[in-house]
Amino acid sequence: MFVLLRHLQRVRREAALPPRSGARSLAVRHLDAGSCNACEHELTATAAPQYDLARFGIGIVASPRHADVLLVTGPVTKRMEGPLRRAYEAMPEPRLVAALGDCALGCGVLGDRAELAAPLEELLPVAIRIPGCPPSPEQIAEGLLTVVRAPLDPPAGRR
Amino acid sequence: MNSAPPVIALSAWREACLGALDRGGRFCGAYASGTGAARRWNALFADGAETLVLSADAGAADPPTIVDLIPAADWDEREAHDLRDLRFEGRESQRPLATHAPETASWTVPVEGRGTHQVVVGPTHAGVIESGHFRFHVVGERILQLDTRLFYKHRGLERAAEGRSPAAGLAFAARACGAGSVTNSVAYAQACEAALGLVPSRELRRGRTVLLELERLYNHLNDVAAICAGVGFAPGNMAFATLKERALRLNCELAGHRFLFGTVAVGGSVLDLDAAAAGRARGELGELRADAEAAWRELAFAASFQARLGGVGVLSTEDASELGAVGPAARASGLHIDTRGTSPGLWYGSAFAPARPPAASGDVAARLEMRAAELPVTFELLDDLLSEPVRPGDAAAGGSTGPIGVARVEGPRGETVCAVELEGEHLGRLHLRTASYANWPALVHAAAGNLLPDFPLINKSFELCYACVDR
Repeated sequence: MFVLLRHLQRVRREAALPPRSGARSLAVRHLDAGSCNACEHELTATAAPQYDLARFGIGIVASPRHADVLLVTGPVTKRMEGPLRRAYEAMPEPRLVAALGDCALGCGVLGDRAELAAPLEELLPVAIRIPGCPPSPEQIAEGLLTVVRAPLDPPAGRR
Repeated sequence: MNSAPPVIALSAWREACLGALDRGGRFCGAYASGTGAARRWNALFADGAETLVLSADAGAADPPTIVDLIPAADWDEREAHDLRDLRFEGRESQRPLATHAPETASWTVPVEGRGTHQVVVGPTHAGVIESGHFRFHVVGERILQLDTRLFYKHRGLERAAEGRSPAAGLAFAARACGAGSVTNSVAYAQACEAALGLVPSRELRRGRTVLLELERLYNHLNDVAAICAGVGFAPGNMAFATLKERALRLNCELAGHRFLFGTVAVGGSVLDLDAAAAGRARGELGELRADAEAAWRELAFAASFQARLGGVGVLSTEDASELGAVGPAARASGLHIDTRGTSPGLWYGSAFAPARPPAASGDVAARLEMRAAELPVTFELLDDLLSEPVRPGDAAAGGSTGPIGVARVEGPRGETVCAVELEGEHLGRLHLRTASYANWPALVHAAAGNLLPDFPLINKSFELCYACVDR
């Protein structure tokens, strides 16, 4: 095991990743609404030592109740529309929806119209758009980092 | 293959299917086609390099079920019922597969007894996982029965492909599954070529074989990483994730896409590697091989990891055969089926011998070791294929044409079967049955009797895709 760990340290050194920035975080909940699984492969890859998005405070969380961002892949099938809406409703506010990949962005979607619900944009307010088929881990990092690095909204006025 | 199969009367259907088995055929899928009086119920049987198509006349009456003779046909019949409105005479139950009936009792197996309860998971999961719903019937920690409900990701790809040209239909097969895109695309392209009477050139056969082995390479590395993740062994997971990432980067360098999208065409291949590019690829593959072997050795000495693998999720040889399992999962259970050995449209040659597992014990350990045993075969094949330039290939007219084309291609998780029916110059029917589709019933069966906390591990040892099952 120690050999594996040493090997991983070497990979990290050789990848020469830029240093982490700021002290902010982003909790991401992934939701597959009918993807081909390639977006999932690339999202998983962002955790690999060559990218390691945890450096930037970006982590995949297990429940929408813990999430800042709902990261959606796929063209939204009829059968996934309900689970998608329920996941969004379960999120605390403020919450953001991210469309990961061309299908979630409604571009070049393949399938029978009768089996697809509606483009994600028509179902939920999409704030982050990460195009690609599938987007590379760099593109996913770039898309999520824009949120981490965005200036914070001023606190909402008290009622 | 190329002449339309004779239509079999329903009264002779079961006998015809049994006959195909008796002659050494292996059931590899069934699908409904046509509408109204011209409706057909077709069953496919693998026999060496050939695929036998049996076609029953389902225009006027319901075909008799074959699920009691061939349990592997269970999902095919249930899918045809749900998506193509076909009913089967004599089935004891017709539980929904693709239709999501609201009543749980309609699609689950009743489990009763003191202390039994259900643990419900999905369709959305706690990590980066595809959508699917599991219902575990457990007593204590022990799984008595697992009911799965998939098809959450059903996009209607097969139906959407109907009416399109063979060239335009490729995208529907290719995007059924991101991680099996090459396998499914090659199966589709070969099925179309069989129907159109096109014969692949030497270069086309070589080019496709390179792409298929590159796909197997990154998938096998992924699967080893996934099994490590299944027990929470992070160093192993990350070590193989790192190797997979290198394989994906090599794909991008060689073919312009990390998942090799857009590299396969009907009657053609766009992969173009001159001697220098092929040489560089060989060098990188050599380094990758050495590092993969080193990481594998470390896994072998990680006692806490190894202790979790033996005797878990056992799939016996008989069950693997009855349920129609394919690919590494079938080979790990002692079934020596590998379509690469009978693929004249590719470049494996008659000397190809599939790797044999160190022990065909059918458990998680065997499925993991099967991947490790197959990696050297893939590295050898790629090293050999890349010893000369790989040029774009084509396919020339010369074979016999016909309304139905069928092809079978061995992918990382096993055999994809693709059937294409042409109506004039357009697709009348596209049917894609991937290895994940074939293996889901085997996974469900292997889970029973195990501990619930071992399910992620059992699941990852099959590493089945949901997208290409749901289509």
